[in-house]
Amino acid sequence: MSRHFRSRKALVIAVASTLALTFAGCSREGGGDGATGAAASPGITDTTVRLGISTPLSGSTAGPGTCTVAGVKAYFGAKNAAGGVAFGDGKTRTVEIEALDDGYDPQRAKANYDSLKDDVFAMTAGLGTPTNRAWREAAIADEVPQVLVMTGDPLFSDTQESPWQLGFVPIYQNEGEAFGKLLVASGAPHKVAILSQNDDYGAGYVEGFKSAVEGAANIEIVDELTYEATDTSVDAQITQLSASGADVIFNAMSLVPLVVSALQKAQQLNWLPSWFLPSNTSSPGAVVEPGGGAAFPGIYSVSFAKAPASPAFAGDEDVQTYLAALKEHGDYPDAPAFPHCQWSWMVGATLEQAFTTMTEPTRDDFMRALRSIENFEAPLMLPGTAVTTTESGQPAVPTVVVQKYNGKGYDTVESLG
Amino acid sequence: MATFIQLIVDGLSTGSVYAAIALALVLVHQATGLINFAQGGMAVLAAYSAWWLLSRGVPLVLAISASVLLSFAFGAVVERWLMRRFERGDPDTAVVVTIGLLTLITGVCGWLFTYNNQQFPSLFSLDAVTFLGVSVSQRSIGTTVVIVVVMLLLQALFAGTKLGLALRAVAINPQSAAFSGLPVERLLMVGWGLAAALGAIAGALVAPQLTLTPGMLDNALVYALAAVILGGLSSPIGVVVAAWMIGVLENLAAVYVPLIGYDLKVAVPFILIFVVLVVRPQGLFGRKTVVRV
Amino acid sequence: MAGARMTTAALSDRQRSWLRRAGPLLLVVVLVVVPLVFPESVNETIARIGVFAVAVLGLNVVMGYAGQVSLGQIFFLGLGAYVTAYGVSNDWNIVVVFVLACLIPAFVGLLVALAAARLGGLAIAMVTVALPIVGVPLAKRLSEFTGGSQGLSARFGDAPEWSGLYDDQWRLYLVLAIGGAVFLLTRNLVRGKYGRVLGIVKKNENVASSVGISPYRYKVLAFTLASLIGGVSGFLYMLVIQYTSPETMSFGHSIQLLAAMVIGGAASIVGSVLGGAYYVLVPQLTNLVDPSLTALLQGAVLLVVLFVLPGGLASLARPLGRGRRSRARHDPAPLITPSATTKSGSAADTPETERQGHP
Repeated sequence: MSRHFRSRKALVIAVASTLALTFAGCSREGGGDGATGAAASPGITDTTVRLGISTPLSGSTAGPGTCTVAGVKAYFGAKNAAGGVAFGDGKTRTVEIEALDDGYDPQRAKANYDSLKDDVFAMTAGLGTPTNRAWREAAIADEVPQVLVMTGDPLFSDTQESPWQLGFVPIYQNEGEAFGKLLVASGAPHKVAILSQNDDYGAGYVEGFKSAVEGAANIEIVDELTYEATDTSVDAQITQLSASGADVIFNAMSLVPLVVSALQKAQQLNWLPSWFLPSNTSSPGAVVEPGGGAAFPGIYSVSFAKAPASPAFAGDEDVQTYLAALKEHGDYPDAPAFPHCQWSWMVGATLEQAFTTMTEPTRDDFMRALRSIENFEAPLMLPGTAVTTTESGQPAVPTVVVQKYNGKGYDTVESLG
Repeated sequence: MATFIQLIVDGLSTGSVYAAIALALVLVHQATGLINFAQGGMAVLAAYSAWWLLSRGVPLVLAISASVLLSFAFGAVVERWLMRRFERGDPDTAVVVTIGLLTLITGVCGWLFTYNNQQFPSLFSLDAVTFLGVSVSQRSIGTTVVIVVVMLLLQALFAGTKLGLALRAVAINPQSAAFSGLPVERLLMVGWGLAAALGAIAGALVAPQLTLTPGMLDNALVYALAAVILGGLSSPIGVVVAAWMIGVLENLAAVYVPLIGYDLKVAVPFILIFVVLVVRPQGLFGRKTVVRV
Repeated sequence: MAGARMTTAALSDRQRSWLRRAGPLLLVVVLVVVPLVFPESVNETIARIGVFAVAVLGLNVVMGYAGQVSLGQIFFLGLGAYVTAYGVSNDWNIVVVFVLACLIPAFVGLLVALAAARLGGLAIAMVTVALPIVGVPLAKRLSEFTGGSQGLSARFGDAPEWSGLYDDQWRLYLVLAIGGAVFLLTRNLVRGKYGRVLGIVKKNENVASSVGISPYRYKVLAFTLASLIGGVSGFLYMLVIQYTSPETMSFGHSIQLLAAMVIGGAASIVGSVLGGAYYVLVPQLTNLVDPSLTALLQGAVLLVVLFVLPGGLASLARPLGRGRRSRARHDPAPLITPSATTKSGSAADTPETERQGHP
């Protein structure tokens, strides 16, 4: 009896306090609503602007993840040391970077976003498809820029679907397509074996490649296999593909150790096809050389960035500046092992380009400025590539050039052979 | 046909990688009654220490030997200063402590040596030996031979030496072992030390193939666990045979069973486990444990 | 005010009983007030804690209370999240979605348990490892339903107009209400007859059989229940995170969930909440210290906490209560070994599971 009474009492108190506090709650300021009009957005003052990054800094993708922070940190570190960045509104601001580790866990990426969104002006440079997708819709709802992220997922470059997003690196399809076109243009008959990662990364490359070779009389795809990113070996796949009699392998793999062992395995089987590698796993020093790439008739890749390890660019002024800044401001004392370091440096340059044409310190105006860059040749970019953000459906870097391994680095090629 | 045989040979060499870690898991389980999730992490740390010595100009064999000795000491220290506190308590807690240790070691490796991929030279040449149209690298052969030798040594240790019997006695019943005059604490330290030293050998064997990174053995650990359960926790031979079986069968299933394919081949060891344990709950080669009420 | 006078009267009559009830009452009030007073980011963090507290609770049912090692709890969270995402993106009624997000994982869990529980502790552990390991590629293969590796986004649970609440406040209320209900039901369950039987099964299956309890049936039941609770946490995951992909159910997260359970305190309701808090807060805290050293710091925190409190964080609260049971389990039995231990436990001293405060 009294028990029954007291539980009703609890209810009354609960309801009363709810009502009382609802009013208090409703008066809460701001929340996640983006500021409108010319009032400054969060994360920007007259002297500073703050950028947020959520990227894997631990776990199996920490290697490239660390690079995505190091490059942009180095870029703005050097700028800040020289006084800051001159914005289009006439003010000079220093750029602060706040990077958080998400361990490639979408849930943690969302948590990082939640904790950063009120403090930073824009989110940028983070690596990973699922980790960026996890908070894409929230960023749209909150009107927080999620720009120049490191994923080739086309969704981020679709202006209709993703008004507050923009991808940086070429979409996977573009890279696959570029190699496919080269192959078709060679005119000679080729049998192609495909080995791709079983996810949107691998599928995107294969889709692009197939669209380029579709209907071409000289190209025949003889076998197509996949592997999982958690596999410890792709020996069986290489064995199976070697039996297909292919003279070209289209190898869309994103894991450096597996690419190295795939190259080695093919040599053991005495199968020596021409080899295509994606832009993120074709580093001369970290992949092709340990894999013994010189044994193959040709190792092809696509790229838009100068490889610092390549002798051709050893004396390049861009490369010199970049390597020095990476050491001094990027917390990255070693030679960059992943191209993501270079890409992230270009992200810095592209952001600066947008900052210089921003006339109001708002996220809206930043997006406008960012989306109106045309043919900007960012430092470290290869001739023939540029940053162009005006094309819907395309990321900031829409073009790549096909390159061939020359024993030390890569040369841009116009044709196979 | 040549492809079929080549796939079996490929499976055996992949299986050897799993077997290397699995043997260390068996050793620590035999000696302490625990599944040590940090086993792979400790092997990676050992491989990094060898790699560091190499980069300081120490010859490869010496560097690996030093890493084996260091690992023995490290294993003993971990037992004495960390695990001992949990050995008498809830076994789940002890296992979670090894998970924490794995996280910590991975973090330390990433901090000291970065998350970049490091090339680790092999004791054996990468050149292939071709026989009847099947080629296999000398590295794979060498790895397999070393693992077989280690397996035989372990089998002999547990079956025929005083130390092995004492280690097992301590694991099975520490109290009775203590009553019968065995130095339980020292034996536990030795057990951990031996397992860590074995892990160091395993790390040096597989690092050239997997490329040295802090998480190098994370994916192999699952396979090693499966091999340990499949082979029977108490049998080094059983575990190596199980690891080879897993390596071979998952390749064959991927290629010849379209329903499985390369994406679901990871299910193969678990299907195997299920089938085997229904028939033999103690695993392929394990001893039956007697249960008292 | 009349109510207040009555309460005072009751208090003088039965002070102890009042004290016992004051806790839950206070808890309810705090839970009602919390979403209203904190800023958005704090609310979101609390909601995430709620999600993983429920997941850890499910794990506790099968592992903490029933003693069956499960390394696959994250699979059921992932399954529940996928069911939710699929239902929401197809505009199903949200109540139907919720029911399915509970029932489908429970059904899958039942099927798995029917097979695995027959084999004993060893195989249960291995079969549960298989769930996330096989679940990830399986989710990719079923891309028609799961969106493949790119995953599924589904935004739902926005605050209705009449409530006058912000979205994050409304969502937190939903998490607190659903999570709270699950906790309450589970608490009542494990403290009742059912919980005592589970305790006997955990201690010694042979003893259980000898007193007429079927360990098999209860293991299956515990596993099914854990899967169902996992499904609920998956529903909450979608509500709070609004996105799921195969990455959600990776094996590494399952291991972290296990660690969170032990850190919080095995076989403890409060421990489940603390475990959820640990799972969510430690990565965030380590990010504050140094984002490039998160793995190192997380490992160190885990080791330090367990070194100081081998019984988990819940053991901090335990000495305050009556039932000191942290020393209840002394067996040096290995984790993955056929679960029967040689200790001749008697039914009487078994499940002193958090009975403080219960009449």
